[in-house]
Amino acid sequence: MNTKWFLVLLAGFFEVGWAAGLKHADSLFEWLGTAVAIAVSFGLLIYCSKKLPATTVYAAFVGLGTAGTVLLDMTVFGEPFSWMKVALIVLLLTGITGLKMVTHEKDVAAS
Amino acid sequence: MTWTLLIAAGLLEVVGVAGMTMVNQQKNIRSWVMLTGGFGLSFLFLSIAMTSLPMGTAYSVWTGIGTVGSALVGMIVYNESRDAKRLLFIGMIIAAVIGLKLVP
Repeated sequence: MNTKWFLVLLAGFFEVGWAAGLKHADSLFEWLGTAVAIAVSFGLLIYCSKKLPATTVYAAFVGLGTAGTVLLDMTVFGEPFSWMKVALIVLLLTGITGLKMVTHEKDVAAS
Repeated sequence: MTWTLLIAAGLLEVVGVAGMTMVNQQKNIRSWVMLTGGFGLSFLFLSIAMTSLPMGTAYSVWTGIGTVGSALVGMIVYNESRDAKRLLFIGMIIAAVIGLKLVP
Protein backbone atom coordinates (compact mmCIF):
# COMPACT_ATOMS: atom_id res chain seq x y z
CA MET A 1 0.00 0.00 0.00
CA ASN A 2 2.92 2.34 0.60
CA THR A 3 4.20 2.38 -2.96
CA LYS A 4 1.05 4.13 -4.21
CA TRP A 5 1.30 6.79 -1.53
CA PHE A 6 4.99 7.23 -2.25
CA LEU A 7 4.03 7.88 -5.87
CA VAL A 8 1.41 10.44 -4.76
CA LEU A 9 4.20 12.18 -2.81
CA LEU A 10 6.43 12.05 -5.90
CA ALA A 11 3.61 13.53 -8.02
CA GLY A 12 3.43 16.35 -5.44
CA PHE A 13 7.14 17.06 -5.89
CA PHE A 14 6.72 17.27 -9.66
CA GLU A 15 3.75 19.57 -9.14
CA VAL A 16 5.91 21.93 -7.06
CA GLY A 17 8.42 21.76 -9.90
CA TRP A 18 6.02 22.78 -12.63
CA ALA A 19 4.26 25.37 -10.44
CA ALA A 20 7.66 27.02 -9.92
CA GLY A 21 8.40 26.54 -13.63
CA LEU A 22 5.22 28.31 -14.73
CA LYS A 23 6.20 31.28 -12.55
CA HIS A 24 9.96 31.43 -13.07
CA ALA A 25 10.92 29.60 -16.28
CA ASP A 26 12.59 31.89 -18.82
CA SER A 27 14.47 29.65 -21.23
CA LEU A 28 13.42 26.95 -23.66
CA PHE A 29 15.15 24.33 -21.53
CA GLU A 30 13.26 25.41 -18.39
CA TRP A 31 9.93 25.46 -20.22
CA LEU A 32 10.65 21.98 -21.54
CA GLY A 33 11.38 20.81 -17.99
CA THR A 34 8.11 22.38 -16.84
CA ALA A 35 6.17 20.52 -19.54
CA VAL A 36 7.84 17.23 -18.60
CA ALA A 37 7.01 17.84 -14.91
CA ILE A 38 3.32 18.43 -15.76
CA ALA A 39 3.21 15.20 -17.78
CA VAL A 40 4.98 13.15 -15.10
CA SER A 41 2.84 14.44 -12.22
CA PHE A 42 -0.42 13.72 -14.05
CA GLY A 43 0.87 10.36 -15.26
CA LEU A 44 1.59 9.37 -11.67
CA LEU A 45 -1.85 10.61 -10.56
CA ILE A 46 -3.64 8.51 -13.15
CA TYR A 47 -1.57 5.49 -12.20
CA CYS A 48 -2.32 5.95 -8.47
CA SER A 49 -6.05 6.40 -9.03
CA LYS A 50 -6.14 2.85 -10.37
CA LYS A 51 -5.91 1.54 -6.82
CA LEU A 52 -6.95 4.55 -4.74
CA PRO A 53 -10.10 6.72 -5.07
CA ALA A 54 -9.44 9.56 -7.54
CA THR A 55 -10.67 12.28 -5.14
CA THR A 56 -8.39 11.02 -2.36
CA VAL A 57 -5.38 11.02 -4.68
CA TYR A 58 -6.27 14.42 -6.11
CA ALA A 59 -6.86 16.11 -2.72
CA ALA A 60 -3.54 14.77 -1.40
CA PHE A 61 -1.81 15.91 -4.60
CA VAL A 62 -3.25 19.44 -4.46
CA GLY A 63 -2.36 19.66 -0.75
CA LEU A 64 1.23 18.47 -1.19
CA GLY A 65 1.71 20.79 -4.14
CA THR A 66 0.46 23.80 -2.18
CA ALA A 67 2.55 22.97 0.92
CA GLY A 68 5.66 22.44 -1.21
CA THR A 69 5.12 25.64 -3.19
CA VAL A 70 4.65 27.72 -0.02
CA LEU A 71 7.78 26.18 1.55
CA LEU A 72 9.80 26.76 -1.61
CA ASP A 73 8.60 30.38 -1.79
CA MET A 74 9.70 30.97 1.82
CA THR A 75 13.06 29.18 1.58
CA VAL A 76 14.23 29.83 -1.99
CA PHE A 77 12.23 32.66 -3.52
CA GLY A 78 12.43 35.07 -0.58
CA GLU A 79 8.79 35.20 0.59
CA PRO A 80 8.59 36.32 4.26
CA PHE A 81 8.42 33.55 6.89
CA SER A 82 5.02 33.16 8.56
CA TRP A 83 4.03 31.04 11.57
CA MET A 84 0.45 31.08 10.32
CA LYS A 85 1.54 29.39 7.12
CA VAL A 86 3.61 26.82 9.00
CA ALA A 87 0.56 26.03 11.18
CA LEU A 88 -1.59 25.60 8.06
CA ILE A 89 1.01 23.28 6.53
CA VAL A 90 0.92 21.18 9.71
CA LEU A 91 -2.90 21.03 9.44
CA LEU A 92 -2.56 20.07 5.79
CA LEU A 93 -0.07 17.28 6.44
CA THR A 94 -2.28 15.99 9.28
CA GLY A 95 -5.16 15.84 6.80
CA ILE A 96 -3.08 13.93 4.24
CA THR A 97 -1.68 11.48 6.81
CA GLY A 98 -5.18 10.90 8.16
CA LEU A 99 -6.54 10.40 4.66
CA LYS A 100 -3.82 7.82 3.99
CA MET A 101 -4.76 5.95 7.18
CA VAL A 102 -8.48 5.70 6.40
CA THR A 103 -7.99 4.79 2.72
CA HIS A 104 -8.11 1.17 1.71
CA GLU A 105 -6.94 0.02 -1.65
CA LYS A 106 -9.83 -1.13 -3.73
CA ASP A 107 -9.95 -4.44 -5.47
CA VAL A 108 -9.46 -3.65 -9.16
CA ALA A 109 -11.89 -6.37 -10.16
CA ALA A 110 -14.57 -4.90 -7.89
CA SER A 111 -14.43 -1.47 -9.51
CA MET B 1 -17.94 37.39 -16.57
CA THR B 2 -14.70 36.70 -14.73
CA TRP B 3 -16.57 34.97 -11.92
CA THR B 4 -18.54 32.84 -14.39
CA LEU B 5 -15.24 31.83 -15.97
CA LEU B 6 -13.79 31.00 -12.55
CA ILE B 7 -16.78 28.86 -11.56
CA ALA B 8 -16.59 27.11 -14.94
CA ALA B 9 -12.89 26.45 -14.25
CA GLY B 10 -13.82 24.80 -10.92
CA LEU B 11 -16.51 22.66 -12.57
CA LEU B 12 -14.12 21.62 -15.34
CA GLU B 13 -11.66 20.52 -12.66
CA VAL B 14 -14.40 18.18 -11.40
CA VAL B 15 -14.73 16.84 -14.96
CA GLY B 16 -10.96 16.26 -15.03
CA VAL B 17 -10.93 14.32 -11.75
CA ALA B 18 -13.92 12.26 -12.95
CA GLY B 19 -11.83 11.63 -16.07
CA MET B 20 -9.09 10.17 -13.85
CA THR B 21 -11.58 7.60 -12.58
CA MET B 22 -12.99 6.96 -16.04
CA VAL B 23 -9.61 6.40 -17.68
CA ASN B 24 -8.91 3.59 -15.24
CA GLN B 25 -12.30 1.99 -15.84
CA GLN B 26 -12.50 2.21 -19.61
CA LYS B 27 -9.66 3.43 -21.78
CA ASN B 28 -11.73 5.02 -24.52
CA ILE B 29 -11.58 8.42 -26.24
CA ARG B 30 -14.35 9.86 -24.06
CA SER B 31 -12.42 9.19 -20.85
CA TRP B 32 -9.25 10.80 -22.22
CA VAL B 33 -11.19 13.82 -23.52
CA MET B 34 -12.74 14.29 -20.07
CA LEU B 35 -9.33 14.03 -18.41
CA THR B 36 -7.23 16.20 -20.72
CA GLY B 37 -10.04 18.53 -21.82
CA GLY B 38 -11.30 18.97 -18.25
CA PHE B 39 -7.95 19.85 -16.72
CA GLY B 40 -6.72 21.72 -19.81
CA LEU B 41 -9.71 24.08 -20.06
CA SER B 42 -9.84 24.34 -16.26
CA PHE B 43 -6.26 25.65 -16.06
CA LEU B 44 -6.86 27.93 -19.05
CA PHE B 45 -9.99 29.49 -17.51
CA LEU B 46 -8.30 29.78 -14.11
CA SER B 47 -5.35 31.64 -15.60
CA ILE B 48 -7.69 34.00 -17.47
CA ALA B 49 -9.70 34.64 -14.28
CA MET B 50 -6.46 35.36 -12.41
CA THR B 51 -5.66 38.25 -14.72
CA SER B 52 -8.50 40.29 -13.21
CA LEU B 53 -9.11 38.68 -9.77
CA PRO B 54 -6.57 38.48 -6.93
CA MET B 55 -4.60 35.25 -7.32
CA GLY B 56 -5.32 33.94 -3.79
CA THR B 57 -9.07 34.50 -4.13
CA ALA B 58 -9.22 32.92 -7.58
CA TYR B 59 -7.18 29.88 -6.56
CA SER B 60 -9.20 29.34 -3.37
CA VAL B 61 -12.54 29.41 -5.15
CA TRP B 62 -11.18 27.12 -7.86
CA THR B 63 -9.74 24.56 -5.41
CA GLY B 64 -12.87 24.72 -3.26
CA ILE B 65 -15.30 24.02 -6.11
CA GLY B 66 -12.95 21.49 -7.71
CA THR B 67 -12.17 19.36 -4.67
CA VAL B 68 -15.58 19.50 -2.96
CA GLY B 69 -17.28 18.88 -6.31
CA SER B 70 -15.00 15.94 -7.06
CA ALA B 71 -15.66 14.42 -3.66
CA LEU B 72 -19.44 14.69 -4.23
CA VAL B 73 -19.25 13.24 -7.74
CA GLY B 74 -16.89 10.51 -6.50
CA MET B 75 -19.34 9.45 -3.79
CA ILE B 76 -22.54 9.76 -5.81
CA VAL B 77 -21.40 8.51 -9.21
CA TYR B 78 -18.31 6.38 -8.59
CA ASN B 79 -19.16 4.87 -5.23
CA GLU B 80 -16.18 6.27 -3.35
CA SER B 81 -16.15 5.79 0.43
CA ARG B 82 -18.54 8.04 2.45
CA ASP B 83 -16.63 7.40 5.66
CA ALA B 84 -16.96 10.46 7.94
CA LYS B 85 -13.24 10.43 8.78
CA ARG B 86 -12.34 10.46 5.09
CA LEU B 87 -14.54 13.53 4.55
CA LEU B 88 -13.09 15.22 7.64
CA PHE B 89 -9.51 14.76 6.38
CA ILE B 90 -10.38 15.93 2.86
CA GLY B 91 -12.04 18.96 4.50
CA MET B 92 -8.87 19.66 6.52
CA ILE B 93 -6.77 19.60 3.35
CA ILE B 94 -9.15 21.97 1.52
CA ALA B 95 -9.30 24.36 4.49
CA ALA B 96 -5.51 24.42 4.81
CA VAL B 97 -4.97 24.93 1.07
CA ILE B 98 -7.46 27.83 1.01
CA GLY B 99 -5.85 29.28 4.15
CA LEU B 100 -2.39 29.12 2.60
CA LYS B 101 -3.62 30.94 -0.51
CA LEU B 102 -5.40 33.68 1.45
CA VAL B 103 -2.88 34.39 4.25
CA PRO B 104 -0.78 37.32 3.03
